[in-house]
Amino acid sequence: MGNKINFWFISSLLISALVAIPIITVLGSFFEPISDYYNILKKTFLIDYLTNSLFLLIGVLFITFVIGVGCAYLVSFYIFPAVNFFKWALILSFAVPAYIYAYSLTAFFENYGTVFAILNNLFGEGNYNAYIPKFDGLLGAIIAISFSLFGYVYVLTRASFHYQSQNLVELGKNLGFSKKRSFFNIILPSARPAIVAGLSLVAMETLSDFGSVSYFGVSTLTTGIYSAWISFDDLTLANRLSSYLLIFIIGLFILENLSRKKAQFHTSSKGGHRTKTLIKLNGYKSFLAFIFCFTIFLISFLFPVTQMLYWTIIFPQHLENLDVFKLFLNTINLVIISSFFLIILAFISNYGNRVSKSKLLQILNTISISGYAIPGIILAVAFITFISWMDSNIINYFEMGSIKSFFIGSTLGLVLVYFIRFYSLANNGIKSGYAKINYSIDEGAYLLGYSKFKTFKNIHVPYLKNSIFLVSILLTIEIIKELPITLILRPFNFETFATKAYLFASQDLLEAAAAPSLILIIIASFFILITSRYILKE
Amino acid sequence: MKKNFLEINNVTFSASSQNKINNVSLTIENQGDIVCLLGPSGIGKTTILRTIAGLEKNNSGTITLKDRILSSKEIQVEPEDRNIAMAFQDNSLFPHYSVFDNIKFGAERNKNKKKGLEINDIIKLLHIENIKDKYPHQISSGEAQRASLARSLLSNPDLLLLDEPLSNVDQNFKEEIQVRLKQILTEQKITTIIVTHDSYEAFYLGNKCGIILDGHLKQYDDPYNIYHFPNSIEVVNFLNRGTLIEAKVTGENSLESNDLGKITGDFIKHYPKGSNVKLLLQPEDLEHDDASDLKLKVVDRKFRGTNFIYTLKTSSDKLISVFVHSHHIHQHEIEEKFGIKRPIHIDHIVCF
Repeated sequence: MGNKINFWFISSLLISALVAIPIITVLGSFFEPISDYYNILKKTFLIDYLTNSLFLLIGVLFITFVIGVGCAYLVSFYIFPAVNFFKWALILSFAVPAYIYAYSLTAFFENYGTVFAILNNLFGEGNYNAYIPKFDGLLGAIIAISFSLFGYVYVLTRASFHYQSQNLVELGKNLGFSKKRSFFNIILPSARPAIVAGLSLVAMETLSDFGSVSYFGVSTLTTGIYSAWISFDDLTLANRLSSYLLIFIIGLFILENLSRKKAQFHTSSKGGHRTKTLIKLNGYKSFLAFIFCFTIFLISFLFPVTQMLYWTIIFPQHLENLDVFKLFLNTINLVIISSFFLIILAFISNYGNRVSKSKLLQILNTISISGYAIPGIILAVAFITFISWMDSNIINYFEMGSIKSFFIGSTLGLVLVYFIRFYSLANNGIKSGYAKINYSIDEGAYLLGYSKFKTFKNIHVPYLKNSIFLVSILLTIEIIKELPITLILRPFNFETFATKAYLFASQDLLEAAAAPSLILIIIASFFILITSRYILKE
Repeated sequence: MKKNFLEINNVTFSASSQNKINNVSLTIENQGDIVCLLGPSGIGKTTILRTIAGLEKNNSGTITLKDRILSSKEIQVEPEDRNIAMAFQDNSLFPHYSVFDNIKFGAERNKNKKKGLEINDIIKLLHIENIKDKYPHQISSGEAQRASLARSLLSNPDLLLLDEPLSNVDQNFKEEIQVRLKQILTEQKITTIIVTHDSYEAFYLGNKCGIILDGHLKQYDDPYNIYHFPNSIEVVNFLNRGTLIEAKVTGENSLESNDLGKITGDFIKHYPKGSNVKLLLQPEDLEHDDASDLKLKVVDRKFRGTNFIYTLKTSSDKLISVFVHSHHIHQHEIEEKFGIKRPIHIDHIVCF
């Protein structure tokens, strides 16, 4: 059965190879001559890029750890007012991209901003600006990114706590541990792989963040890549910087992968698993738990939504001037086309892997799913580099017309890079669905006379319809929020809610950015709500 | 010359590089024959079935079914093109279909072929009526095994492979299902290879049995011969239905044992007079007699419904078993003396 070169093997190989192109392109920059700009950069801003990226990372990891694990612990082990509401409400923070959070933060605390207006209304006119704290620069970026990303840590840790057995909790009691000691010595270590996995995702997203750091004017490796390409028009430099970031991220990726492998070791839910008995909190403890979760919900979701809503209401002309229908159509078009190809091809690739059991495919598959770890901005730049190289080396050789316009600044190019960026999301979603199908089910089908294609069509696809639904919703949310790739590769005059909000904000027109931001959050929240049951379960 | 229905010729079955069953040659002569393969867990019995089904490759030898080569070094017919059905030991029901729909998959495979069992008959025969509308996750593993068996049977294959088909079935159902299974296989003339570790099941179901030990097919014969004429000490030890005691050949039809005295009977294989041999003594070979002067001490007594099995200790500390009908007038307690009828005569004497 194994190692046969057939349709499934070839398709799987091609898909994985396509997704691996950017990594190869970026790492290929090491073999290209260094430009003068690189030497200048090395003496001037490179250290800034690196230190800012590092501080940003440390700050975000610390905050997301405390908030994510704290909330997950409270809602998983205790009963307090509105606990069931918080279980799903806390994941709504996924709907707020960091760059929109950054706009809200600025709008709220800036001179003569929302806080100023509130104080003015409450206490009469005064010079409040001097007393209002300013959350901008690196601190602003840390807060914006943390509150939009803590959901990763929350969801994964909560899932891990959720499946922890009552036996484990009782073990602590039997050993005479205090609640605090039980938490630090038993509960937390057993959820460690989930927490590390969550933090790794946060780290990757943080390092690839472009919208909020560029808005707050923080120079990180990501903004460095953008300006190397836009300001210096030096693709080699952009790629070289990308490769540094990539090496950093691959390190994190390996760490996350190792941690996941250990996660299998940690889940011993077979056999003696018993559902936990939740502890009812009373008095001030119940109040404190409620306040903690409510504050996080308030800061992460209600605050940016209210701020955007407030501006949309008081500046209705911006909403009126916005071609909502066209933006919606553009966004949904991208979502439908990209999701369609992503799911179909992820399916083919997974099935190819399953059928051929080839080591080569497994390795390529591992490389290809690292696309998610590569910042969108690197992917966009690598894609442009690759197309330019193809154009000047291969297409020119055969004296054909330029292919650049087909791929750069076109929907096709945009969809292709989305494909590379989100392939891992689609692939992992389908893969985790496939993991639940025992291989003997395939074999049972073959022995009932089903061909490989018929097994795929009649057995796998119907069985995985829930996974397909979940993956398509997650892709929708990600594509709606996506900024850097869309910004760089979109066709002329083509806008989405994300790019529209960014363009207004970058021109300091925050009031105008509010309406597209609000609509984006509402759409993303809608999709999150319809999948919250699955997200919390998986 | 009459062609065999299935021929396995010099095939090495390998589950892993360490776990191999080497150079197996085995034939099933007639359509409708049932072969049971017995062997300890982990020896690779399932690999044999998987290789015949085409789910694993064989790199040596050939497997031929109805004159068609299915597997050889050069030829590998895809599993779906072999018309071989297999019921796995683990649940291989499609999780998103009801039990009934799962079973229907088997019937669909057979729809353009020969007339055979009807879906409702098999549901009735294997007691699946009560679970037919349930989903695989809602039924027990024994029920899943029966449903999987029904699916395979309905597909009316050229060759049916059953991997421990009743290992999870409740004991109270097991015998009845065994009877019905044998009835269906015989009536429908479905050629079957069954892998099991239960020798009673193998002896009941199989026209022939194969004993797999130490990476080899040690014995391939009909169940009666396997039980009464095991061809090696390893087979005796594996079947665990007798004790080997030291004895000396004293004549054409007699032996002398220090523990039991003179024993007479027909030798299956002849040994020169004076040879020291190990005599196979099975529980039904000895008879109880309270009046006998040959007394052994009782060390254990098992009640098995129709009979008791007494474990007795000989003077050389060997443990031998003796059946006694459970309606026997009295019982012997542990440490009591137990009489063995003399002279001891065994119909067929098996020695090594």
